[in-house]
Amino acid sequence: MIKKLISTIAISVFVTSGVIADTLDDVIDRGKLRCGVVLDFPPIGYRDANNKPAGFDVEYCKDMAAALEVELELLELTWADRLPVIVTGRADVVFGATSDSLARAKTVGFSIPYAIYYAQGIVNSKSGIKSFNDIRGKRVAAAVGTVPEQEWLKIAKEWGEENLYQGYQSENEVFLAVAQGKADIGITTNTAVKPISDQYDTVDPGPRMPWTTDYTSVVGKRQDISWLNYLNLFVTHQVRSGRYQELWGKFVGGEAPELRIPNVMY
Amino acid sequence: MFDYNFHWRPVFKSLPDLLEASLTTLQVASLAMLLGILIGLFLAFCRLRNDGPLYWLATTWIELARNTPALFQLFFFGFGLGALGIHFSPYMIVLAGLTFNTAGYLGENFRGGFQAIPDTQLKAARSLGMTMWQAYTRILIPQVFRIIYYPMTNQFVWVVLMSSLGMLVGYRELTGETQFFASKTYRIFEYFAVTAIIYYVMVKVILGLSKVFASRYFRY
Repeated sequence: MIKKLISTIAISVFVTSGVIADTLDDVIDRGKLRCGVVLDFPPIGYRDANNKPAGFDVEYCKDMAAALEVELELLELTWADRLPVIVTGRADVVFGATSDSLARAKTVGFSIPYAIYYAQGIVNSKSGIKSFNDIRGKRVAAAVGTVPEQEWLKIAKEWGEENLYQGYQSENEVFLAVAQGKADIGITTNTAVKPISDQYDTVDPGPRMPWTTDYTSVVGKRQDISWLNYLNLFVTHQVRSGRYQELWGKFVGGEAPELRIPNVMY
Repeated sequence: MFDYNFHWRPVFKSLPDLLEASLTTLQVASLAMLLGILIGLFLAFCRLRNDGPLYWLATTWIELARNTPALFQLFFFGFGLGALGIHFSPYMIVLAGLTFNTAGYLGENFRGGFQAIPDTQLKAARSLGMTMWQAYTRILIPQVFRIIYYPMTNQFVWVVLMSSLGMLVGYRELTGETQFFASKTYRIFEYFAVTAIIYYVMVKVILGLSKVFASRYFRY
């Protein structure tokens, strides 16, 4: 009897310890994809005239839910939420223009790049900033927890101008700070520059930032390799089907950047 | 469900920065509290007059400070005044916001304190030949401080904890610094866990010191 009991316990421990989180199965069973997006990043993620989520990333969430044949639950995130939401299991996937940095990869898993950006400034029209070197001595703003913030702070440290940096919770606050003249330049992404400088009379497109191109990836649980494989496949299917070009053309305009990284086998 | 591995090393590496930021928190909170006490006393006097422009000024201040979220008040000093072309640094936004809010709450505390003291004391003091200033500073205000000392301690704890809202207007006090490091290293739980402990210890020390202070100066 005791032997039987012990072997039953041993078997159940063995079986349950072998069960690992499988987001793909969970999503299909649940019938719902919980997809995180950042909505203060036009035209990639924003709210349209009817206050409905819209943009390139939102469409990617919709496409993915359609591919999985499940319902979509959109989760609106701040920039700093993008990783915790995956780690705590509140979201299955995040399309949030997330740069695939090695530091982040210690915490979450990344797909192959699904969109490419570079960092560019928006400047207050009275700031007098025309080139990158004009930024010396000016007040610089960026969103907390973003790559532009970290890259800028390296330069600010070199220049001894860390005290002139202002970190905000969202890109919208960065845009507002620049528009009001609280900051002279806000660092954002090239795709956001046109819609924002069109929106505010006091904001002009600014110089390009000197750091490298921003390869952004879809975020999933680090431990869940089968889910990350699925995300990779989804990204390649979006490109192969022409959907990537279609959505880029619709929201950003022009030719979609090539996702291949020169001289690298990803 | 929760398959997160904790890594504490980055937190311990930046502990000196966090402790320095906690001093920043204490500094801005203490200053806001001090200004809050001064303005709060003024508001209480105005409210006790029961009429006139000063009464209405104090009433408006107190109504706004107590009945709108502290975060809104911070945003008002940040982006609200910014829209009018008046720009404060993140430090000034936090200081102004916290002072405005604290003065509102303390104003009502002080008023309650004054009303708890029988009218006859003021009359007695005056009949002994004291001037109004002497009667207030030597007889009434010391008693008011004794009456509202513990609510005031509460208010100070509140200010220390609410200074964390400074993070939202770009001020790097303890929470802002924590978020900065957390977003750099992505060890979010670890950083906020340690910061929660720092806040807890800070508040416990404040409460302990306030008890010692009370036992020395407010003993009956």
